[in-house]
Amino acid sequence: MAAVTDQMAAPGAPAIRRTPKGTFDIVFRNASRAAALFVLVLLAGIIASMIIGGWPAFREFGLGFITSSVWDTQNEQYGAWPAIVGTLSTALIALVLGVPLSLGIAVYLTQLAPPWFKRPVSTTIELLAAVPSIIYGMWGLFVFVPLFAAYVQIPVSNIVEGIPLVGTVLYSRSPSGLGILTAGIILAFMIIPFIASITRDMLEQIPSVLRESAYGIGATTWEVVRHVLVPQAGVSIIGAIMLGLGRALGETMAVTFVVGNANRLSASIMDPGSTIASRIANEFNEAMGLQLNALIALGCILFFVTFVVLVIARILVARVKSF
Amino acid sequence: MLSTLELSPQALDAEAPVRIAVKNLDFYYGEHKALKNINLDFRDRHVTALIGPSGCGKSTLLRIFNRIYSLYPEQRATGEILLDGRNVISNDIDVNELRSRVGMVFQKPTPFPMSIYDNVAFGIRLYEKPPKSELDDRVEGALRRSALWDEVKDKLKTSGMGLSGGQQQRLCIARTIAQKPEVILFDEPTSALDPISTGKIEDLLEQLKTDFTIVIVTHNMQQAARISQYTAFMYLGEVIEFDATNTIFMNPHKKQTQDYVTGRFG
Repeated sequence: MAAVTDQMAAPGAPAIRRTPKGTFDIVFRNASRAAALFVLVLLAGIIASMIIGGWPAFREFGLGFITSSVWDTQNEQYGAWPAIVGTLSTALIALVLGVPLSLGIAVYLTQLAPPWFKRPVSTTIELLAAVPSIIYGMWGLFVFVPLFAAYVQIPVSNIVEGIPLVGTVLYSRSPSGLGILTAGIILAFMIIPFIASITRDMLEQIPSVLRESAYGIGATTWEVVRHVLVPQAGVSIIGAIMLGLGRALGETMAVTFVVGNANRLSASIMDPGSTIASRIANEFNEAMGLQLNALIALGCILFFVTFVVLVIARILVARVKSF
Repeated sequence: MLSTLELSPQALDAEAPVRIAVKNLDFYYGEHKALKNINLDFRDRHVTALIGPSGCGKSTLLRIFNRIYSLYPEQRATGEILLDGRNVISNDIDVNELRSRVGMVFQKPTPFPMSIYDNVAFGIRLYEKPPKSELDDRVEGALRRSALWDEVKDKLKTSGMGLSGGQQQRLCIARTIAQKPEVILFDEPTSALDPISTGKIEDLLEQLKTDFTIVIVTHNMQQAARISQYTAFMYLGEVIEFDATNTIFMNPHKKQTQDYVTGRFG
């Protein structure tokens, strides 16, 4: 009925249109522009203050800041090498352990799991991604570390002792459970939810007709996944891995709890070490003078590495979405 | 309307052996019964078209022959589909081996993310390990048969995804015939293609029926009339009429068939 009345009224009355008030539009446009500019200013501010703060250390030690392994607060000698190596090696271990597990989870959930099982596992993965890192750190220190010392570090050290190379890399001088490998394992637990859920989404986006045609010429599930689905999702899976890597590089609390915080560089992944983030977290409270500058310079390096990783991840993910 | 259809001139061979026999076939999506008591015979080295309005069950029927429906746990079939005397819907059949003998080409081209050569070789490599030279020959042979060889012979190592839609669909046909199946199922193979590509695929089907038993689902009645020797008209999950294509299009026995092929409903 309402429509009919409108039609009746329309021809008689001239159409009245309110001209929109120009002032509000201008305010709105500028306010949203300011909000967008704010992030740029914020980022530029952080970068500038990091560089200014770290500059004295870079000037004092030059390239040696990156390559030196000495971190001596008494003699004001600072080198970032052990922390850089610790950061990269924990992140690498996390990827080596986490990526196959994540891919397994994603493939199982998208290709094999019965629907009643798929839902709870998917939800669990998303919940795991939401667990605060301090929880992983606490659980790692109080639950995982003692078990790891008793059931992995001590037996493995007994076995590999004296064997060349393996005996160096896997031998634990003080089997406390803390160390680079422990941190890598905890990091793997933390990045699995990320990589698994993104990979699952990517595999789900593959049209079912492609999957059907791969099965349709008589390929087994393994062959379909290995030769068709994973290559099809290919680059975006690498993007998901890079996002996980970005998190592993910058993770602070959980790693600080379990990495052992040693300043020395050890050849064994069973020995304590430190990462850039854990070193900053440990020393920042009491740092003064050049030590503070050195810590900020460490932060610069971490920022740079993480930034590069994230940019690569973005490029890879975007490239896949575009086709 | 009828006069506009060009009918296939080839005579059909009524003596040709039955390659696939469908007997008392029912099909369910969960609780929903999508196919009701289907009985059809598909003759060896003939093209049989399945026509009917959307949702009549023709694609569903096609997807039973190579057990693609088995990928989805809530779908099930009862009855018999005999291929060389074996019931393909029984549980003790090797589904992967069946699929290598019953190839399928889909509505949309589905090149795999690998080179043109590897796309065609993929199906061969699954079941045979021929020496390199023989593999090369079979890939070339399949590409020639699918009328793609001249267009791709200089770029066999490039990705199959880089081809045009029509070329991709012929690549999928090459991939299917390279496996030397006995039966090829086509599920609206030209519905995503332009008229020129469609013409090429239809010419191809004409060639292929000398070696393969072909079942094609199509929405395009001219296409069914042009390329098939037998046609089954389906409606609401049942086969309404099954006969020689000429009979279905020129002289159908059922009024529903008459209405559909003349465009009065569907």
